[in-house]
Amino acid sequence: MIYRAIVIGGGPAGLQAALSAGEAGHPVLIIERESRPGGILKQCIHDGFGVIRFGEKLSGPEYAERFIDEVQKKENITLLLLHFVISISKEKGVFVVRTTSKEGITEHRSETLVFANGCRERTSRQVNIHGTRPAGVLTAGTAQYYVNLMGALPGKRCVILGSGDIGLIMARRLTLEGAEVLGVYEAKDKPGGLTRNLYQCLTDFDIPLHLSKTVSHVFGEERVEAVEVVSVDENMCPLAGTEEIIECDTLIVSVGLIPENELAESLGTKMDAKTKGAIVDQNMMTSVNGAYAVGNALHVHDLVDYVSECAKTAGEHIAGEKREERNLLPIEQEGLLYLVPQQLDINSLKEEEVFYFRSACEYKKGELKIYRDGEEIYKKKYAMGLKPPEMEKLKVKLPPLERETRLKVVLEGKNE
Amino acid sequence: MKFRAINRIKKALKKAGYTNISVREKLGGVLLEGELEKYADVLACGRLAVEKKHSRGVINKISVAGYQEKPMRSPLINDKAHEGKTPDALIIGGGIVGAAIARELSKYNISVMLVEKEYDLAIAQSSRNDGMIHAGIDLNPNSKKVKYNMRGNALYDTLSKELGVPISKNGQYVLFTSPVQRAVYPFVKKRAGKNHIPCEYLSKKEVSERIKNPGFNHGGMFFAGAGVVSPYLMTVALAENAVVNGAEICFDTAVLGIENDGEKAGKVITNRGAIYPKVVINAAGVYSDKIAEMAGDGHFTIHPRRGVEAILDKKAGHLTHSVIGRFAMKTSTGAKHTKGGGIVYTIDGNILIGPSADETQERENNATTREELDAVINKQRELTPDMKSADIITYFAGTRAATYEEEFIVEKSPIIKNLIQAAGIQSPGITAAPAIAEDVAKFTKEILANEKTVQQKKDFIKTRKPIPSLKELSLQERDALIKERPDYGIIICRCEEISRGEIMDAIKSPVPALTLDGIKRRVRAGMGRCQGGFCAPLITQIIAEETGIDITQIGKKGGAGKTLCGYTKEQKE
Repeated sequence: MIYRAIVIGGGPAGLQAALSAGEAGHPVLIIERESRPGGILKQCIHDGFGVIRFGEKLSGPEYAERFIDEVQKKENITLLLLHFVISISKEKGVFVVRTTSKEGITEHRSETLVFANGCRERTSRQVNIHGTRPAGVLTAGTAQYYVNLMGALPGKRCVILGSGDIGLIMARRLTLEGAEVLGVYEAKDKPGGLTRNLYQCLTDFDIPLHLSKTVSHVFGEERVEAVEVVSVDENMCPLAGTEEIIECDTLIVSVGLIPENELAESLGTKMDAKTKGAIVDQNMMTSVNGAYAVGNALHVHDLVDYVSECAKTAGEHIAGEKREERNLLPIEQEGLLYLVPQQLDINSLKEEEVFYFRSACEYKKGELKIYRDGEEIYKKKYAMGLKPPEMEKLKVKLPPLERETRLKVVLEGKNE
Repeated sequence: MKFRAINRIKKALKKAGYTNISVREKLGGVLLEGELEKYADVLACGRLAVEKKHSRGVINKISVAGYQEKPMRSPLINDKAHEGKTPDALIIGGGIVGAAIARELSKYNISVMLVEKEYDLAIAQSSRNDGMIHAGIDLNPNSKKVKYNMRGNALYDTLSKELGVPISKNGQYVLFTSPVQRAVYPFVKKRAGKNHIPCEYLSKKEVSERIKNPGFNHGGMFFAGAGVVSPYLMTVALAENAVVNGAEICFDTAVLGIENDGEKAGKVITNRGAIYPKVVINAAGVYSDKIAEMAGDGHFTIHPRRGVEAILDKKAGHLTHSVIGRFAMKTSTGAKHTKGGGIVYTIDGNILIGPSADETQERENNATTREELDAVINKQRELTPDMKSADIITYFAGTRAATYEEEFIVEKSPIIKNLIQAAGIQSPGITAAPAIAEDVAKFTKEILANEKTVQQKKDFIKTRKPIPSLKELSLQERDALIKERPDYGIIICRCEEISRGEIMDAIKSPVPALTLDGIKRRVRAGMGRCQGGFCAPLITQIIAEETGIDITQIGKKGGAGKTLCGYTKEQKE
């Protein structure tokens, strides 16, 4: 049989994409490599999920459960667990996805494909940490798995590098479970996580946050015995003479997430160097016709609510009956860390289009403008400021666009 | 040793300004004693004392003012597990040389015991090198290095088949760094001819056709005989096959002393009891001079040499499918001790860059530094400008066991009658190991001949069934294997696509892997771009399920290298 859609990944993005793609009753297949659906939400037992989507604060597993329950009710949606995609190809307009599982090697076919396979964590090696390679150096996500899913403590005296949300949340979690968190170090001069997490996870527990400092060296042959921290300049270069040795048994790194796109790349999908995900249009369709990318595989979101929303957009487009040939218009951008979508299919413009963006740097005030052939067609003011850790969403009513139109999104920030 | 030779060395040292160094003959070698300010000077003296014709080696006992050598890292265990054991042959060291010797000796009707101070095989230099099967071109044509290299290179094809360890021989490019170097080709060719090394001259045009975007192009050479192997997997495979054939491998066992009467080594004292072997085989790598001294024939000194290497994501595998290096005029002897490293397409499809080569006083310091890695990157980027440092997924350092002669020591000791040394094995040690093992087996038979008739075992099992690498199989083969054993279908390490079944096989293998790093060396789980972030907790659970060991007792490494520190409050309740 040929599915309407094969969704790779059964986390929040994949579950929502499948629900929306199957809305009209078309057969949809979700392929999940782990033994349970829910993706990374399974280990996120803290609350704060779903405020936008459901208007209430849920834990990660609770948020996922709502979608899992829905999926299980749908007869037209099949969920395969412990199935791992080993290859993807497109043969005569049909996607062929091969999986390995307990049952052997299986081939699945579909009209469309959704990449919803999330992201991975950057490792200590990718942020130039040197020294030995003992036990006790791990990413925040791995630490979270040990603590929340295995009930085990990865360390007793921990140093955390990176003030992104996962790092902050793990600082609190480890403290609650009896470990001592000696400090959170951040190489940038601004914290990386959401403001609410800075208060709830660090301030409330008296955990110090050290800005413009990074971990440069690990000591200890078998288990971590100490780390060296060093101040860095604005280019993240270590400043000689500022080295400080901190005795600890664990180094937890929370230094960013990288969308996992090895599968998408194997299909020849064009990538955006800024998001590290695929280049998509407003329907989340990649450069390969019929292949979509959603969730953290597309770009790293800070709220799962937006992950679901983005997956819904793709799913709805898949469920829609009319799929005309695309007419793609690239969008120019300025002053942004990134913008999604990066292009528009002008043949399928809706009443309003949604854009997600992050500002390139922190601004006290900002103005986002959209120009069509040099003429301003949209303007939004950000009086409360903008910062890269917080993703912004825009809903824009676009005027008619032509293939030749030059569309440009510009963010002008002010700091006085 | 001739008095004249000693005098020559004395003069040379004096001429170089080292006036307070005592030079004496000892054990047929040259013993240097004294104290100097800098380690560089100690090294310089050692090099000046090299006297290949008349001396068995430089024994450099010159100390550096104020420097105290760190004691050897030793296992935490202290018990009597091996007390009173009397193996025919005791091999000290579980690197590739020790493992190859164990396998070779397990072909005979003798009892073989290998002791290794670490928790697993190939912990030191055997897993910290570029895995090259060398063509042998840069070696002195009359050296032991080249002899064992050529024999070893030839043995690898059979060994690969018998032990199920993949190798590839895609050759090695050596690029000229200046137009002048082209003139050396006739010399290289002649030298290569002596050892039957195939070589090919490449014009600038040929280089640009065969190498994608080289950083410089003055022409070069190609050596078809070069190849790659996973050095740690080969070490494991050799040891596993030895165990299957009756050898005993003992980890966490450090040799702390050897009683000898000046003619024979007797009691070998370890942290796990005293062992009484008939033959002692020194394959102790960077500590081989210390073991030699304990056994009564310390006629050489190891001066450790660091090398830093980096591994790139498989995405960067397009850079080359063989090995690319640069031509260096002086190698093997003299000041230059590396071809300056290079770019290696590993057997697993990663790109490896390096190694560097720096003298160090520390035998076991495998910590990397930012400066060293940056130097490796900058140097290799000259060869392939397309290389991106963002593609680096890990880096590591190793310490080579260099002697002052820069030569292998493979000998039956003329002083201690039951001591065999396979020492000072550095590059091309991986290539040479199987050939060294052949000679060590010959010596062992000769020594044991007085006591017993040493014969080949009729029931020697020469082949090893490797853990299947599911990813490498055709879809049909892979499917069939999964149908037979469903655990092969479940992927645990997503980056390297390693199944639960493969991990279970590593846990149950003849030399069981019970640590995360042990499993990594055997089946590559955790070696990919996420560096074990996703699979480490899963593998910890699999080891626990398969062995009954509590998860909090499972380590990344041995000893104190446990992954976890206990349970959470909630779990305890």
